[in-house]
Amino acid sequence: MKSKADRYTLTSSQKMMIFVLSMSLYGLSNMFTELIPKLQLGPIELSVEYFAFIPLTLCILFHPLYAAIGAALGEVIFGELMLGQFGGLGELEKFLTFSFAMFVAGSMVRDPRSRLQVGTAAMTGVVIHQLCSSLVDIGKVWIGVEEFEAVPGLAESVVLVEGVGFLNDVLFSGILFALLPTLYLVPRLHGKIEPLLGMKPRERRMRPETDRRRVAVLAIVGVVLGLIAFGAESLSESGFEWGSWDSGLADHLGDGAIWVSIGAAVLVSALVLAVVMLRKKTAADQSGELPHG
Amino acid sequence: MQIARRWLERLSLESFQTQLMGMVYGSGHAVLSRLDPRCMLIWYLFFAVAPWFISSLTVLAGMFLLLAVATVLSRAAPFILFILCLGLIGQVGWLFLLSLFFGGDAESALPLLKLTLKLSVVSLASITVFSGMDPERISDGLLALGMPAAFSFSLSYGYRILPVLLEEFRSVLLSYRLRGKAPAPGRFRYIRLAVYYLKLLVLSFYPLMLATAKRSRTTVEALEVRGFSYGMKNPASRRLKLEHLRTTWRDGVFLGGTAAYVSLLFWLG
Repeated sequence: MKSKADRYTLTSSQKMMIFVLSMSLYGLSNMFTELIPKLQLGPIELSVEYFAFIPLTLCILFHPLYAAIGAALGEVIFGELMLGQFGGLGELEKFLTFSFAMFVAGSMVRDPRSRLQVGTAAMTGVVIHQLCSSLVDIGKVWIGVEEFEAVPGLAESVVLVEGVGFLNDVLFSGILFALLPTLYLVPRLHGKIEPLLGMKPRERRMRPETDRRRVAVLAIVGVVLGLIAFGAESLSESGFEWGSWDSGLADHLGDGAIWVSIGAAVLVSALVLAVVMLRKKTAADQSGELPHG
Repeated sequence: MQIARRWLERLSLESFQTQLMGMVYGSGHAVLSRLDPRCMLIWYLFFAVAPWFISSLTVLAGMFLLLAVATVLSRAAPFILFILCLGLIGQVGWLFLLSLFFGGDAESALPLLKLTLKLSVVSLASITVFSGMDPERISDGLLALGMPAAFSFSLSYGYRILPVLLEEFRSVLLSYRLRGKAPAPGRFRYIRLAVYYLKLLVLSFYPLMLATAKRSRTTVEALEVRGFSYGMKNPASRRLKLEHLRTTWRDGVFLGGTAAYVSLLFWLG
């Protein structure tokens, strides 16, 4: 058991500062990455997927949990909502994988001055994020397309496309826009940016203090939400007939299919409303809790 | 040639910033902005979820028309619509190529048209609500529907601070360019230029991070002076903050009209 002085404790307003800082910076960078054109060389796409170095640097220098959640929220607000590209449930899954990967990367680093640790953490963060999103994409096609086995070559081609995308993102975006800038920025900012927020720099012996119970609750809620999002997405994916595959629902039920889909839509809307109402009642006195520890 | 040049001028960072300013600070005058934000969010929820489960072309086309009108009413900025078109072409065009590769033909364009309609209905709904309304109103609406206060605050803060950040970023980038040396003409000039600009883009984040850290400290201090984190936990003060949200006959007409129109579409389709 460590004594209190060795731990990296933050006041609730410092957590909020980290949250706001990470959100606005990563949000700004997201606007650029949406606008930078892509270079397509055959199946290989040289694109600036995201400026991962910003959340990585902030997660390494500050408390990883708040920096990670802030960055993910910044992406949703600036990159999706403001540009009108908000895809609903799909964003939930992106939000979860991204904040999880950044949180893990930030927690890995014990000493921000060690270049080896910073570099390993940066690459690990990118690999975790890309791996999660590729697996989710493959799984979506796997579950969503019922005649998966029936279409020859589909399984291989999906895995191939996702695999090439994964390698490309890790090797190109990962090295150029995560590893190198993080290695450049972390030693320069360490000890300079923390006093601006009124806190001590992270040192070798100080571990970020996290409430274990809260992290566990967050993780469980995250997994459940992710599963729901995943299920709903594959459901909707199976609804659109890609090429000549048909879900067959319309043939079986005729006109009834429309009413089934209206029913589903109404049900989903009603469920969301009910959940919101319930939460409003129970959480009226404890909302706004997240960055306030 | 002149048209191309005019388009390029429009694409500059400066005009982008001007349009952003207009979007963030000028949306209070739009017709839809006077509606109750809670109603707008529920309306959005329907159009974000429903299109995925509908496969009738008539219904989707009708919804698209309705949302196109709503987008015009919300006075969305042109560059947002431009980005939307770019994204749609990229996403659907890629799928079309893939399905051709798997042995599909021109017939596979029809399901893809459906997909395009679905995607654009969802996107237009989010443009209508999230860029056509005053950020404070959206954030109050989210708070009233039970979002945590930190999230709903971040939304309106993000909207307001973005043009300021962009301005700061531009001046940092310009000062780097003034002091630096762009690649001379010669072999592979465009590749070297791209590398140069990408490097500047990354380097500019170093001063920006320090400046933003200072700004976020000021913001949070200002918030705490007004009792943000404790006030928002208190039900009475929340009620006081959200008291100005009222549903009026306008909201009733809006939601009722949409419901009638959509059921008419389902009846036709």
